[in-house]
Amino acid sequence: MSVDVARLPEAGRWRSLFDFYVTTMRTAIASQLQYRVTNYFYMLGMIAEPVVYLVVWTTIADQEGGSVNGITSGEFAAYYIVWTLVRNMNIVFGAPFWEYRIREGRLAGDLLKPMYILHYDLAYFAGWKFVVVAMWLPIAFGLSAVFHPTLDPTALEIVVFIFAIWGAYLVRSMFQGTIGMLNFWTTRGAAVFDLYIAVEMLLSGRLVPLQLMPGWVQTLANFLPFKWTFGFPIESLVGNLSTEQLLLGLCAQALWIGIGLVLFKIAWSSAIKRFVSVGN
Amino acid sequence: MNALRVSWLFLKIGVINELQYRVNFFVQLLQSLIQVGTALIMLALVYSHTTELNGWSESELLSLIGVQVLLGGFIHTFIQPNMQRLMEDVQQGTLDYALTKPEDSQLLISVRMVQIWQVVEIASGLILLSVGLSGVQQSIGVVDAIAFGIALLIGGVLVYCFWLVITTGAFWIVRMENVLELFEGIYQTGRWPVTVYPGWLRYSVTFLVPIGFAVTVPAEALTSRLQWPTLVFAFVFGAAVFAFTRWFWHYGLRHYSGASA
Amino acid sequence: MPDPVVHVAELTKIYKVPEREAGLRQAAKALFRRKTRDVRAVETISFDVGAGEVVGFLGPNGAGKTTSLKMLAGLLYPTSGTALVLGHVPSKRERDYLRQMTMVMGNRNQLQWDIPALDSYELNRAIYRLRREDYVAMRDELIELLDVGDLVRKPVRNLSLGERMKVEIVGALLHRPQVLFLDEPTIGLDVTMQKRIRTFIAEYNQRQGATVLLTSHYMADVEALCERVIVIHHGRILFDGALASLADEFAAYKTIGVVLQNGGAPLDGYGEVVHHQGDRVSLRVPKAETSRVAARLLADHEVLDLTIEEPPIEDVIESVFTQPAAL
Repeated sequence: MSVDVARLPEAGRWRSLFDFYVTTMRTAIASQLQYRVTNYFYMLGMIAEPVVYLVVWTTIADQEGGSVNGITSGEFAAYYIVWTLVRNMNIVFGAPFWEYRIREGRLAGDLLKPMYILHYDLAYFAGWKFVVVAMWLPIAFGLSAVFHPTLDPTALEIVVFIFAIWGAYLVRSMFQGTIGMLNFWTTRGAAVFDLYIAVEMLLSGRLVPLQLMPGWVQTLANFLPFKWTFGFPIESLVGNLSTEQLLLGLCAQALWIGIGLVLFKIAWSSAIKRFVSVGN
Repeated sequence: MNALRVSWLFLKIGVINELQYRVNFFVQLLQSLIQVGTALIMLALVYSHTTELNGWSESELLSLIGVQVLLGGFIHTFIQPNMQRLMEDVQQGTLDYALTKPEDSQLLISVRMVQIWQVVEIASGLILLSVGLSGVQQSIGVVDAIAFGIALLIGGVLVYCFWLVITTGAFWIVRMENVLELFEGIYQTGRWPVTVYPGWLRYSVTFLVPIGFAVTVPAEALTSRLQWPTLVFAFVFGAAVFAFTRWFWHYGLRHYSGASA
Repeated sequence: MPDPVVHVAELTKIYKVPEREAGLRQAAKALFRRKTRDVRAVETISFDVGAGEVVGFLGPNGAGKTTSLKMLAGLLYPTSGTALVLGHVPSKRERDYLRQMTMVMGNRNQLQWDIPALDSYELNRAIYRLRREDYVAMRDELIELLDVGDLVRKPVRNLSLGERMKVEIVGALLHRPQVLFLDEPTIGLDVTMQKRIRTFIAEYNQRQGATVLLTSHYMADVEALCERVIVIHHGRILFDGALASLADEFAAYKTIGVVLQNGGAPLDGYGEVVHHQGDRVSLRVPKAETSRVAARLLADHEVLDLTIEEPPIEDVIESVFTQPAAL
């Protein structure tokens, strides 16, 4: 069947995609800058978590003669302060956002457009990071002044860290997005999300540095995605990883991004099937 | 007393409403299990590296966590839903419905909502508390129990006041969505005795954000650490904070009415 | 005859709605085996729409209008039957198709809330892969047509409902779609704003030769824009044709207005008196008897003025919708 209509010529694919990312990120920065108060609320609430862990472990380290499992107070401070940055990078378009998107009927609008859904979320949250990191800086200075972290990274560690935090962002985006698809089937997915977060807490180095965990937990963590979203980026800067370990870590992240992407695509295609047959 | 009758009616309606969503009970149960599980693992980790934290043994700290979960359950059941509703009302301009009723405005906005399934959290707090206390050496006397009750009540009032003061801020700052994350984050500080925190932080979580105060004082009562002057001080402090909150609420309300007129 | 832009044959959508029963045991059971009930939202509808046509979908709430539009826009997968738009199967949501159509939902907002619409438009440029010169030309043309030059510079949340709809429409048309699905585009707007939107849609249809399918609760929208209407009720098509012939088909009555020399004379014997003011009397008369009654009136009374009118279109529609489901 041929229909004779005037069609607009297309701009280049990659150029347009790049264009889309830049524009969306600018948009995100512009919107989020308007919500400084609420962004700070979020951040302060989030900072409380590592500060509590830090205080507890510092107390123990002091009690036990300066260190726990070889980690000194200063190293704990460095770990948990870098933690705050990694945590900020780790906030992604996850389950609660998917719930919002479906509940508020925003999905239909996105589906009408010729763009893969993941791009919207990756681009917007990536832009948001710039606002968040700018707002994080004074907090980091404050925490450093109080807790005296021991931190002397090499140039390579800094470079790997910069890649690793974006790698963590992508890994977590894929997995959280996949979990978010549950919202298409149930409005009570909260318990499942909580379970995911709890497992992540324990196996990622979010709750405590993995070094403090029993050996078998550390081994297990190596083969799961969680560590690569918290523990690895933090330790790439704070710890004493060899060059080989650093590069291997980046490769592991790349692998998990790939696996996560495949999972996301499978989950999304069945979610969309459900969405278009149920209608919302 | 009319205030009590109004509160009771709202509670009844809220419960009837929530009973329609029974699946929430299982969801809540699972969430509580996860929460308690994570707390216990953290506790085990800490005590695998030390025998006491700032003078608190593992059992004593477990009791403290019990109090924190218990109070958290109370907050999630009665306080937080009301405060979130209040925030939404201010944002969407629907607060007027509440303000036009012939009843004390602060009472009305504080008792409208109840999330009854969150009582699961209260129950799990009680379980943690009793397990913790059974491991504590000395027995608990009647006096300790009474002191605990009073201290817990004061703690509840303090947390309520803190929430209301923050929420009243919505009259000035309309977008406050993340205040929930702020509170949840800060509330986690209550899981440890306030004495572990360095000076400036200890003062913050005691007086500025009275979470540590609200949790630690009742736990101290049960572990026979509490001194009577502290309890008296807590009472005076609670009353003062409540008076301030009431004043601040009315101040915010005047601002709100002025702005929307 | 050229191929139709929209081709719909035997299109059907049946929703499965979970049935919930009271009681804890039932709730627990429902966790494992869900009882469902079929809701037939759209049943075997067929129609074609040619290029450049403006077609109005009429029907009460829940008639199946939005469901039909959503199936055509690829937001809903049909249970059975065929839908083809511009030769594409909408539910496949092919890029090539999405680039040529747009859907505007009157109660939904697709622009970014916190930033000026102008910035959201830039996003659409990238999403639709438009070349800058095409984008700028189209954007400026639309902005001028709708006269929103100032509005697009303000954050969307600061705009009134009507203003928001205007900038929304600009955003939805930047890629110069050939097919427009408009679901209640004027809902909640005041009369002037409705008129403005209406004129604009007509203008766009003229300029671009685009095909427009719209639903609306406001008859004025349909009367002003659509030569052809499709009346849907209980998921089935009751009428498909020119707006003008709708009255012929469904109106059972006509209205005779008379002004008598002797204004006080009782006219109950001629038909139902629906209105009586001074000398002027309005009578509702079965369509078939109109001329006979008029002749009798002229014979029996001293008539100063006599008019025969079709009933207002709203009344016709209303009488259609009050018909029972089984037809």
